[in-house]
Amino acid sequence: MIDSKKMCEGRIVVRIEISALSNAEGKFDHRKMDRLAMVLSNLNNSGKQLLLVTSGAIALGSDKLNLKKQPQSAVDMQVAAAIGQAELIRFYQHYFDQYNQIVAQVLITRDVLDNEVRVTNARNTFETLLDMNIVPIINENDIISTEDIELDDNYPLALSVAKIAKADAILIKMDINSNFIIQPRGSLKPRFVSDESQLIQELENINDELKSMDKNDFYYPVSIDEILVNQ
Amino acid sequence: MKSLLINNIMGQRAKFRNKKRIVIKVGTSSLSFTNGRLNFQRIEKLTYVLSAIRNRNIEVVLVSSGAIGVGAGRLGLKDKPKELSKKQALAAIGQAELMKIYKKFFEEYNQTVAQILLTKDVMTDQKKYQNAKNTLTQLLTMGIIPIINENDTISTYEIEFGDNDTLSANVATLVDAELLILLSDIDGLYSADPKIDATAEIIESVNRITPELEKLATGAGTSFGTGGMVTKISAAKICMAANIDTVITNGTDPAIIFDILDGKNIGTHFMTKEKAVV
Repeated sequence: MIDSKKMCEGRIVVRIEISALSNAEGKFDHRKMDRLAMVLSNLNNSGKQLLLVTSGAIALGSDKLNLKKQPQSAVDMQVAAAIGQAELIRFYQHYFDQYNQIVAQVLITRDVLDNEVRVTNARNTFETLLDMNIVPIINENDIISTEDIELDDNYPLALSVAKIAKADAILIKMDINSNFIIQPRGSLKPRFVSDESQLIQELENINDELKSMDKNDFYYPVSIDEILVNQ
Repeated sequence: MKSLLINNIMGQRAKFRNKKRIVIKVGTSSLSFTNGRLNFQRIEKLTYVLSAIRNRNIEVVLVSSGAIGVGAGRLGLKDKPKELSKKQALAAIGQAELMKIYKKFFEEYNQTVAQILLTKDVMTDQKKYQNAKNTLTQLLTMGIIPIINENDTISTYEIEFGDNDTLSANVATLVDAELLILLSDIDGLYSADPKIDATAEIIESVNRITPELEKLATGAGTSFGTGGMVTKISAAKICMAANIDTVITNGTDPAIIFDILDGKNIGTHFMTKEKAVV
């Protein structure tokens, strides 16, 4: 049934910011997650392997606790994250299931890259999940890693995951529109994709370009300013 | 002579603007990537187009393949099983999944759908025929789009249609449709094999299925579907005999259905008998 030649043509880390899953009032938007699950399941069906790095646990936890504003202290944030992470995964599982896509939860700490054994363990788990056609949904284990919890930015984590999994590109979704940014591996410049129906084609192009290039762990950095300019 | 023929063809296609009941058949190749797994963006576009057509007060029946492929994907199988019992099991799993996805997308456009699974004895058993006809007619009257597939899990050789091209032609006769559109990865019937012959052109219209024409059809076919041009020609034959127009075309962009219903010369049109150019 599955043409092996077309499989594994590209491995992508998808970086999701909670703002991409929120409405204009900053509340969680189920329709947006449904749409995202559809687009990503479709990418996976087209033969790409996906690893999803997502934020949103603290925001969803605060919502669940009916907090008027985001918690400020580290411990309050960790409590909100513990509650919200379960919610976040429940929602992802629900929407990916609509498209027959199985997901798995992986919580890692940012220092995973500092330890060779941990890198190997994480890589083996990723490889096995991807081989089983499962999308790992990765978040920082906020409960035990306090260093960056106040920073609402999952880019360092996405970069770590991309390096561990040797991903061909990082696909960034961080605004409430349908825009995506692709950071290819190696020295290829980032690209802006405003039409989600062009995503598969653009990733195919990158895949072709990467074939004639040295593979290294470099992902051309994109600044928030560049993203905003492109919008 | 040639211009006369073209005029006649255009006249033939112009009547497509007035069609009130149509059957659309989509093959696995139109619903999937080349690796056999579902292309959701394609399916979403298809549901949009069919919902829009339904909103124009045209009655629509969808005949859809894809169940076995979806079942294989759900179980994470990397190869298509050969044994009949395994295929039937996959069809049972996949048909439910496929309907779930259709229902989800059609609901985005506020369109209600229904599932109908048929076996060939419906066409020969008078009582079953009448029951199926009554149900389908009632669904169409209620504005619902029936989604039809072969009932693979109970189909054995004696009672199977065998392929969804044949099934869709039988469905077209069952519901007294005016037009059958067969969507696949083939643009239409070619005058020669386009892979070998650079001068090969799509035959825009056919008013009689000759043995020579049937010979043109051999060879074309896709790896995942069960059909090919041969089964499409035999579907067209069934429809011609029942005075139903048939169009064979490429389903890569489902919006092509809009163009066909606008009367544009797309794909190959198998004309109905009495209105054919003599």
